[in-house]
Amino acid sequence: MSLVQVKGTQVELDEDGFLVDPEDWSEEMAAYFATVEEVADLTDNHWKVINYLRDYFKKFGVAPMIRKLCKDTGFSLKEIYELFPSGPAKGACKLAGLPKPTGCV
Amino acid sequence: MARTDFGPPDYREMVPPIIKENYGDWKYHTVPRPGVLRHVSNSGAVLHSVRVASPRLVSSEWIHDICDIAEKYCDGYLRFTTRNNVEFLVADETKLEPLLAELDEKDYLIGGVGLSISNVVHTQGWIHCKSAVTDASGITKSIMDEMTGYFTGKQKVPARLRIAVACCVNMCGACHCSDIAIVGIHRTVPRINDEMASRICEIPTTVASCPTGAIRPNPKLKSVEINPEKCMMCGNCTVVCPAIKIMDPVNDGVSIWVGGKVSNARTAPMFSRLAIPFIPNEPPRWSTVTAAVKNLVEVWAANARDGERMGEWIGRIGWERFFKLADLPFTDKHIDDFTHAKTTFRSTTQFKF
Ligand code: SF4
Ligand code: SF4
Repeated sequence: MSLVQVKGTQVELDEDGFLVDPEDWSEEMAAYFATVEEVADLTDNHWKVINYLRDYFKKFGVAPMIRKLCKDTGFSLKEIYELFPSGPAKGACKLAGLPKPTGCV
Repeated sequence: MARTDFGPPDYREMVPPIIKENYGDWKYHTVPRPGVLRHVSNSGAVLHSVRVASPRLVSSEWIHDICDIAEKYCDGYLRFTTRNNVEFLVADETKLEPLLAELDEKDYLIGGVGLSISNVVHTQGWIHCKSAVTDASGITKSIMDEMTGYFTGKQKVPARLRIAVACCVNMCGACHCSDIAIVGIHRTVPRINDEMASRICEIPTTVASCPTGAIRPNPKLKSVEINPEKCMMCGNCTVVCPAIKIMDPVNDGVSIWVGGKVSNARTAPMFSRLAIPFIPNEPPRWSTVTAAVKNLVEVWAANARDGERMGEWIGRIGWERFFKLADLPFTDKHIDDFTHAKTTFRSTTQFKF
């Protein structure tokens, strides 16, 4: 657990730097995560992925399969990695404020 | 940018010249003494591989030590086997005896070849995994202390016998297909932290993770609920949802399974089957587990024919005689009750009283 200051508010993160409470997510939070996940600039393409992940999670309660993410956003997995160097799970999902991926990762 | 996606080094860069020169051209091998293989190629080249036990989990000092030994006797070449033993690859025959002498002196166990009980394939246990119901390294050490004679060839076995340990029913490794398998199991229904689940768990994934359909959503709390009548304590839901906890030091323990094999020699591969439903965790020596494994090895060794693996022996004598000879109670826990259980029931009048 750790605390970060983002825009004057304290936000709690778990040991892998994911949000402890998804309610704490904000665009500023995404910008903060970008700095720790090697995303230099948050471009429209980044927001397209982030918004897609957030909408999908809101609707279905789960993160989309990688195939679904690629198909629906039109980005290949390679392009996703170019946008989010630490990958769709550790990178994109963290920026989007989704829960930490579980299982045998 | 860091260099990525370059894969492992090419194995051909690391094999000794004698293997490179005779690659795919070996004529035969013999086992001149336990733990030593002598390979002879069509061109007459002779390579000895000397197998020694490893605890799998090792320090870099230990790696340095085996590297020094390989440097001294094998021109720097060694390999690890698929059961995590080490093999020193000796191309110069005159170095074989001095190597064996040094290994002996340094208390390396030479063995694990052919008709023997080789290393235990095992997992992370309490060393590193959050799902571990039991420990892996501790049980493995306790069992192998009892099996040392079978490893080094001092004690004889009718066929090879594979032992494996997995610390939960994920069964990382080889437990489902080993002659004797030790698998960690829970016996307590998991508890849910609803508040935490609502924040950090994917509810549909958690529901779908349950093999018996014991979990359903709890929309009021944005969590899930578990029907204890249907739960068989597999712990799968706890893997996908960290807000569900199943650990219980009193009721957790291990089960022992027998009769699996992967080779196609003589008979087709087999899954291992339940022999002992539950033994409590007894660190650091797991004496009940080790005694049970020893007993299974001994009844098999005393009764099996030459070359007959555990599963083949049980197949010949039948399960009722196996339970009698091994002096194990047969309980309701042994009767399969999962989806296709019917295929495991007896559909014949043939049985022994
Ligand atoms: S068998 Fe289970 S507890 Fe052991 S390493 Fe695998 S997942 Fe972890
Ligand atoms: S422990 Fe296994 S059987 Fe029990 S609720 Fe969880 S997934 Fe289902």
